[in-house]
Amino acid sequence: MSEDSVAELLVRAAEGDQRAWDAIVSRYERLVWSVVRGFPFDDGTRHDVFQTVWLRLVEHCGRIREPERLAGWLATTARNEAIRALQQRRREVPSEFRFDLPDRVNPEAADVLIEGESERAVFRAFAELPEDCRHLLRLVCADPPLDYRTIAELVGRPVGSIGPTFGRCIKRMRQIMERHRGLKPSNGGSR
Amino acid sequence: MSDWTDDQILAMLRRALEAADPVPETARRAARAAFTWRSIDAELAELVYDSAEEDVAGVRGTETARQVAFRAPGVEVEVMVTHSGGRRIVGQLVPPQSARIELQTPDGNQITGTDTLGRFSFDDVPSGPARLVVRGDDVVVVTEIVVI
Repeated sequence: MSEDSVAELLVRAAEGDQRAWDAIVSRYERLVWSVVRGFPFDDGTRHDVFQTVWLRLVEHCGRIREPERLAGWLATTARNEAIRALQQRRREVPSEFRFDLPDRVNPEAADVLIEGESERAVFRAFAELPEDCRHLLRLVCADPPLDYRTIAELVGRPVGSIGPTFGRCIKRMRQIMERHRGLKPSNGGSR
Repeated sequence: MSDWTDDQILAMLRRALEAADPVPETARRAARAAFTWRSIDAELAELVYDSAEEDVAGVRGTETARQVAFRAPGVEVEVMVTHSGGRRIVGQLVPPQSARIELQTPDGNQITGTDTLGRFSFDDVPSGPARLVVRGDDVVVVTEIVVI
């Protein structure tokens, strides 16, 4: 099951093969999650948006014309659903509407979950980045990978700006890592 | 640390995010269960109008009901979604005809029949993705999914 082509999986899913569908889900769920994560939702809305993306794929899986672009299709669908959900929330509760703090993964809690000191160091730096950098980096490291054109659509910026913005974000991340490293030995418990 | 390449940093970040922010099990289950919405022999009724798409730029449409219309060859499904108290759907088939109408949501399905004018309604509709399946004398139509 590991290396069936996406095109083949889509055909089998359209014919009713649940296992092919499950294989598609496990291959792309992380990607969809990375996109939805970039929006300030509470858990319930995030769940609805994520679920709706897959329902739309079920609706379309017999009609995806370029299976090799499924990653882009899913990412774009996820973004559209997320934007729609934001608009709907604003309409329904305009006065009380407040954003959940996006992506506030507590670095201390994350330390327990993440294996590997280097990974922990990278994540601690990531957690200090501004939201636009975190959103972009999440998309750039998505797996399966997204091309810059799709990423540009997802963040609503020109393609030409993605490379430079990425460069700025990762440089910032390196600086934060250096600073953390400088702090650590002299001042063990510093946060 | 400073001699890590960008790609190495991204690979580490990917692993870190997978561990610190995994796709929740409930979401994963929902994605797998989405497959039960595969529609077999139904005609797709496309979304042709949705008032929720109209008032984008901060216009306050809160008070008014949301109007949605779907079109399939031979039949249109017009729907109004209100939420004073619980969410409610009131709809009509055009041209008027009797049919059984099923409201499908991930939380479960509700079935009702139309009156002689093709009107139908559902109470206590959960928020989230939903679609209607219309079973008439000689047509089965399924609407596109809308999030309500």
